[in-house]
Amino acid sequence: MAYSDKVLSHYEHPRNVGTLDKSSESVGTGLVGAPECGDVMRLQIRVNPETQVIEDAKFKTFGCGSAIASSSLATEWVKGKTVSEALTISNTDIVKELALPPVKIHCSVLAEDAIRAAIGDWKKKNGVAEEAGVAVAASA
Amino acid sequence: MGGDEQSDYFTIFSMPARLVIDLPALEKSFYALSRRLHPDRFAARPADEQAAALAESSRLNDAYRTLKDPIARTAYLLKLEGVEMEEQSSSATAAARATGSSKKQIVPEDLLEEAFELNMQLEEMRMAKQMGEDDPQLRKDLLAAKSSFDAKMAAAQAELEALWTRWDAALDADDATAKAAARDAMVALLNRRSYLRNLVRDVNDALEA
Repeated sequence: MAYSDKVLSHYEHPRNVGTLDKSSESVGTGLVGAPECGDVMRLQIRVNPETQVIEDAKFKTFGCGSAIASSSLATEWVKGKTVSEALTISNTDIVKELALPPVKIHCSVLAEDAIRAAIGDWKKKNGVAEEAGVAVAASA
Repeated sequence: MGGDEQSDYFTIFSMPARLVIDLPALEKSFYALSRRLHPDRFAARPADEQAAALAESSRLNDAYRTLKDPIARTAYLLKLEGVEMEEQSSSATAAARATGSSKKQIVPEDLLEEAFELNMQLEEMRMAKQMGEDDPQLRKDLLAAKSSFDAKMAAAQAELEALWTRWDAALDADDATAKAAARDAMVALLNRRSYLRNLVRDVNDALEA
């Protein structure tokens, strides 16, 4: 199975590889894994507290080319978006952009999970309720 | 055993779905069943019977290959128990998207952190190796990492075998709660093992490179 040009481009020249300060109030860290293939992915965002815009994003992924490309693309996409805009990114967008074959769809799922986990961590640090929590509270 | 497609691999060998199995008995049973399905015995039979025997024989081979391998046997039993790890994973993501929350990871946080940390260390060593040819200290570090990963794999194997015993006891006692607990512990252990397996593979690659 051949990788698409876009996967190769992200795999050979991954964008935004690196680390943000995990202990910073404005940084959210998501660490997720796909046990089926042993992949592990860390995605971090730095959020402007005033505007809730994601000003920086970094990732580090141990896994196959598609997992690396999916997380690289995810960091590119979240940058410049507000937290709530970033939550609208879904794995199918990543599948389309990278032309991932069916066997690699779980890599895009992992990248979406990583975005959600990073935003969830940032919300927890900053006392912003996750929407599920709000929904439960509202229906209670 | 009949050509029933629905019968699971344990049933094919008339065995209960236990995980501690008698391998020599399994092998003996496999050969006996194989002989019964041998194409020579069907040479004079109608084509549909020949085809049925062939299909059954191929399923028998799959069953034997799966049950004799400790990891494949465990994974197969978990599947019979309704555990579909990848399916669970993508449906959990859909649920998280619908509610706007983060997804609960199937893999425990501490395992992800351990796997991430070990991968980082290994990558540093591999990169240093690429730069600086034959640094004896690096080779020592890689060998130390290898023996540490190998030891973790061996420990995981021992832990898995203990869980087999737990599962079998729960099955024999028909204790649904104990069965569920053993099943969940096996899922967690197989997940951990797949991370360790990758680390072992990568450290071996680094040593051979």
